[in-house]
Amino acid sequence: MFAHHRRITSLYILGTFGVVFLVAGLLLLTSSPATAQEEQDPSFHPAFILRDAEGVNVLESGAPASTIRTCGECHDTAFIASHSSHADAGFSAAVAAGDVAGGRTWETSDGLYGGWNPITYSVASPDDWIQSYGARHVGGGPVADQVEMNCFLCHTAAPNNQARIGALADADYAWASSATLIGTGIVEQSGQTWRWLPEAFNEDGSVREDLILVQDPSDQNCGQCHGLVHSDAQTPLAAAVGDETQWNTLTTGQIFSPQRMSNSGLNLADKTTLARSFDVHAERVVNCVDCHYALNNPVFETEAPITRPEHLNFDPRRMDFGDYLYRPLHEFANTDAETTTNFGSSERTCVNCHDAGSTHTWLPYTERHINALACETCHVPELYGPAVESVDWTALLPDGQPVVTYRGVVQDNGNTLLTGFTPVLLPAGMEDDNKLTPYNLVSAWYWVYGEPGRPVTIDDLREVWLDGSTYAPEIVTAFDANGDGALDTSELALDSDTKVTLIAERLAASGLENPRITGEVQPYAIHHDVTQGEWATRECHTCHGEDSRVNAPIVLSSYVPGGAEPTVIGSDGVMSGTFARRDDGSLYYQPMSSAPPVNLYVLGHDAVGWIDLLGMLLFLGVFAGVIIHGGLRYLAARRAVVHQPAAVRQVYMYSIYERQWHWLQTVAIFGLLFTGLVIHRPNQFSMFDFRGVVLIHNALALLLVINAALSLFYHLVSGEIRQYLPRPYGFFDQMIVQAKYYLGGIFRSEAHPFDKTPERKLNPLQQLTYFGILNVLLPLQVITGALLWGAQRLPGLTEQLGGLPFLAPFHTLIAWLFASFIVMHVYLTTTGHTPMANIKAMMLGWDQVEEHVGSEPSIGEEGMAT
Amino acid sequence: MRSFRYIWVLGLVGTLLLVAGVIILALTPNNAATASAWDSLPTHPVHTDHTELMPGPYEDGPAVTRACLACHEDAAHEVAQTVHWTWQSPPVEVAWSEEPVSIGKANTLNNFCIGVQSNWQGCTRCHAGYGWNNADFDFSNTDNVDCLVCHDQSGGYVKAGAGLPAEGVDLAAAAQSVGVPTRVNCGSCHFNGGGGNGVKHGDLDESLYFPSENLDVHMGRADFLCTDCHRTENHSVAGRSISVSVDNANQVYCTDCHEPATLHEDERITAHLDSVACQTCHIPTAARRDPTKMEWDWSQAGDPNREEDPHEYLRIKGSFVYEENFTPEYAWYNGTGQHYLMGDEIDPDGVTSLAHPLGSMDDPGSLIFPFKIHLANQPYDTVYNILLQPQTVGETGYWTTFDWDSALRNGSLAAGLPYSGNYGFAETSMYWPITHMVQPADYALQCTDCHSDNGRMDWQALGYYGDPMEWGGRRR
Repeated sequence: MFAHHRRITSLYILGTFGVVFLVAGLLLLTSSPATAQEEQDPSFHPAFILRDAEGVNVLESGAPASTIRTCGECHDTAFIASHSSHADAGFSAAVAAGDVAGGRTWETSDGLYGGWNPITYSVASPDDWIQSYGARHVGGGPVADQVEMNCFLCHTAAPNNQARIGALADADYAWASSATLIGTGIVEQSGQTWRWLPEAFNEDGSVREDLILVQDPSDQNCGQCHGLVHSDAQTPLAAAVGDETQWNTLTTGQIFSPQRMSNSGLNLADKTTLARSFDVHAERVVNCVDCHYALNNPVFETEAPITRPEHLNFDPRRMDFGDYLYRPLHEFANTDAETTTNFGSSERTCVNCHDAGSTHTWLPYTERHINALACETCHVPELYGPAVESVDWTALLPDGQPVVTYRGVVQDNGNTLLTGFTPVLLPAGMEDDNKLTPYNLVSAWYWVYGEPGRPVTIDDLREVWLDGSTYAPEIVTAFDANGDGALDTSELALDSDTKVTLIAERLAASGLENPRITGEVQPYAIHHDVTQGEWATRECHTCHGEDSRVNAPIVLSSYVPGGAEPTVIGSDGVMSGTFARRDDGSLYYQPMSSAPPVNLYVLGHDAVGWIDLLGMLLFLGVFAGVIIHGGLRYLAARRAVVHQPAAVRQVYMYSIYERQWHWLQTVAIFGLLFTGLVIHRPNQFSMFDFRGVVLIHNALALLLVINAALSLFYHLVSGEIRQYLPRPYGFFDQMIVQAKYYLGGIFRSEAHPFDKTPERKLNPLQQLTYFGILNVLLPLQVITGALLWGAQRLPGLTEQLGGLPFLAPFHTLIAWLFASFIVMHVYLTTTGHTPMANIKAMMLGWDQVEEHVGSEPSIGEEGMAT
Repeated sequence: MRSFRYIWVLGLVGTLLLVAGVIILALTPNNAATASAWDSLPTHPVHTDHTELMPGPYEDGPAVTRACLACHEDAAHEVAQTVHWTWQSPPVEVAWSEEPVSIGKANTLNNFCIGVQSNWQGCTRCHAGYGWNNADFDFSNTDNVDCLVCHDQSGGYVKAGAGLPAEGVDLAAAAQSVGVPTRVNCGSCHFNGGGGNGVKHGDLDESLYFPSENLDVHMGRADFLCTDCHRTENHSVAGRSISVSVDNANQVYCTDCHEPATLHEDERITAHLDSVACQTCHIPTAARRDPTKMEWDWSQAGDPNREEDPHEYLRIKGSFVYEENFTPEYAWYNGTGQHYLMGDEIDPDGVTSLAHPLGSMDDPGSLIFPFKIHLANQPYDTVYNILLQPQTVGETGYWTTFDWDSALRNGSLAAGLPYSGNYGFAETSMYWPITHMVQPADYALQCTDCHSDNGRMDWQALGYYGDPMEWGGRRR
């Protein structure tokens, strides 16, 4: 009884309470093979006969199994093997050494075969390539003659990768595929002897189906080489620092798991607050092959709109499953492999599945953000796995290994704390369509020799540095800064010419020509560890502020061995920024988002210094001018003989609409100037919500434009437009008269040279100023503002007119002019017959106008009212 | 023109209103503000200090009750209408029985201590009354309503056999301390059902006296009282459990406070609400701190030589299996349950369900809900094929005599069941809804907990062709 009862496991409890596992210093090569999933769907795959290379059942021949022959009974394995970047590894695209775009001078491809990487370092000749790279290569391609493409590695539920790697290390190449089955009960190995176990075979010679489950690749299959994959949300995952078989975790810190970080076994800083999953796609059961599918998989086929006839929504003529299963193309979507297939580019981005527009309605300028930033930029804000920062092969540790530093890792008393790191943003994508995308930068320094250069072999390096397991005495003498007779990591630095020369001489003495240090930086793109909701970057100040994420620098290394400026490796990601040194000797990379090819103007971050300086000077100058002018008027008024005030009469100067129009515009302009200032300098106004201020700025701008348009209509229809149009005849004379009045007469309490009347409210200087404001400044400000706003709707137009880097500072400059004008304008309103007279008139409509001999009564005059 | 002197005020107000209107329009978020779950939470006024009002001394429990009734005239009458007093529901029409069903603790068999009848002395220590020690208890005498068991805040009130106050209880101190019922009051019975801490429910045990927020977000983070959710009016406490009830009237729901349509930001999760109960995701495991009984084999009882361990074997009760932090079983549940009724014939070779949820994938009102399933091996009549009621308590009970035959004879007589004199042990099962111990949202189930090769749902048992993520659910 009670047979169907579930038991809990202690691991489950560990998962729930997030017990922290120590991850530091584990040697990963000892990790156990992937464990079998306990429950599996029944396999659809029929029973099959394991055949050797001759096609004979291995049970009869005792020979190693050949997946090419075994699987080739039904699948076109020749086609598969010859159409697979996994097998080819860059072999067929090989070029002459040094001709790889963005590559190193000794590389013949950017793949695993012919390419080189300072993390693995190995300079492998074709003969020992399998020994160096076989662990991360599925077989076939360049080494097809020795190691066939291993179908079992990716298509069985519990492949024994360790045994496979072991067979390769033992040069048991023919048995590598069979070794993948060790542990299933089909084959066993003792020493050099391999034995097929008869009990694993059915009477008809086929393998028992319960022992081998053939399936499409699970995340665990991919994780054997590509990175840390952990599909169980409940069992705490553990990571190890520096595992080369987890390539993407090593180079970028990416971890593919549905597990909440707070439930993981990692020793993460602030772990209890990290209730997000490592990757939201893993969390949502989107598996590796759901994005990286075979390009001819009919399940994923979508016809490009460009080839689809207008009248068809769906073209049912597609590859049927039988054809697909016979020849499944082993080129996969969304890979770096730039293999040309009948299916075009393999690239499918986030928006192939996601409708970003509908989920970002909260974000002002949604399209602008989406055009400038890759989704990953905000949705992969932080990486938590330990990623390589720098590899220094110029000096060796006593075990013959380089000094490697990791990002987001703090070592304390033998404990490793993972703090996570923020990736750097580099432009990536098509030529005209650069989007900032998160990257890790791995810097490396190593010795090269000869011409063209090639890396000094590890054996040569060890010979130069070490006597067995200790340092050579000359090395200790030169490097032992504290004189304790031993070298610690901090002393292992080629930070002086003496030290560099010493090593160079020793390398030269071992027969290497012209040994020298070379440095490089390689960008690694980040597309996993995606998160959403509150975990994604959504705080405006992250980018719109002085410490903008967009231009956040990233440390490359704590010192620069031999002072060698690094070169950039790889054509992926354009590093348009600069390398710079800090005072402590560390090297960092400073992105330049405002320079080509990125050309961003990030509001609140990018400000053109001289424009702000000029604007500020103008503003302060006008301010000082009115203070001085006003002060002089005040003094003059006190000294002046009190004389009979000029007779005044009441005139209805401003109609109610004119007043309403004026004051509404006043509020709008003040609001725009203030919100504009907040947007321009968010750090100084951090109490304001940036997003809200942007929305208010846009709304006020709309209000201003509508108000201006209505007012223009009013002025045109009513003929009041005449007020603003200077009459050419004698205009300059009148201007001079008015200017002389402001410079002289006003201090002597002289009467205004031109009477203010409802027909002629503006004096010649005012006419000129308003003509300039209304015909130049206002339109320019509206147009530049509209273009800034329109950068997302009509990016082409904005781009043609100079783009944001030109338009935005221009908008700022005019704002400064507006601010200065307002100071002047307000001051001049005090030059009426009393300081408040004009302001009152603009409020109440009625103005008091001085009676002068010869002035004519005007239409608006209301004699009876006085 | 004087009359127009203040027109500028109008203009100013108009201008500012216009600008403010524009700004408010610009800042209005797309989604309307949602009501907070806190709005639904009852407030607790400071309870009147009864020290002066209840001077005592009191000679027995009913004396206290009479003193309470002097002011709270209707209180006992109200309590007497509830199942806390009657231990039996009013008749309910159900599809699975021709007769209306009226069951409750008073007249039902379970697969723990099996039944009340003939065992009143022991079982009714959790009855909200005094002196129910035989079939003749007078339910109309409301002086026997026990006010203190729910309202005592002195902590010194303990009930003993037949629900009478235990020896040495200071009734005056208890009476003076009365207040709103706390988790301690409710927990004194509900956390100990089945004879000990956490035995019965799997989601109610003494860990809830001082819970962490990870154990129960309501009681741990916000220090909820039971009655914050189990709304109580006129002493009628809301709530139902299919272990004793068959209907869902007066049930407590998460949605009493939480608004399901806007609660989850993610549309995928919101779509789940059509077919998954809140509890399913938000209570990933049950009995997280204290273990609960999962299996009880009465047939093992009586062996004097076997080593005793309250979590494994007791001579009087048989052998047990306890589990903690277990993954619940999942079943469709429309809120109502079906119960074994005394005298129902069983198939002794199969597993007889004493209580199970009703509902199915085809029933739009059903949701997938988490349950603890308690399995037992308990006595039945091998001639009549009915489950039997043993007398366990008292001088003539099994726990004293270790004689099944006499215990079953006495018990069945009290329960009105025929007993042939031949007995055996049959397997039974009982579903217990898992609805307490809600964890904070960060600990809710994730997609892969169900939708993966090693997910926790048995899709085909639930009625799906396969994982509805791939095969489609009720809507497709």
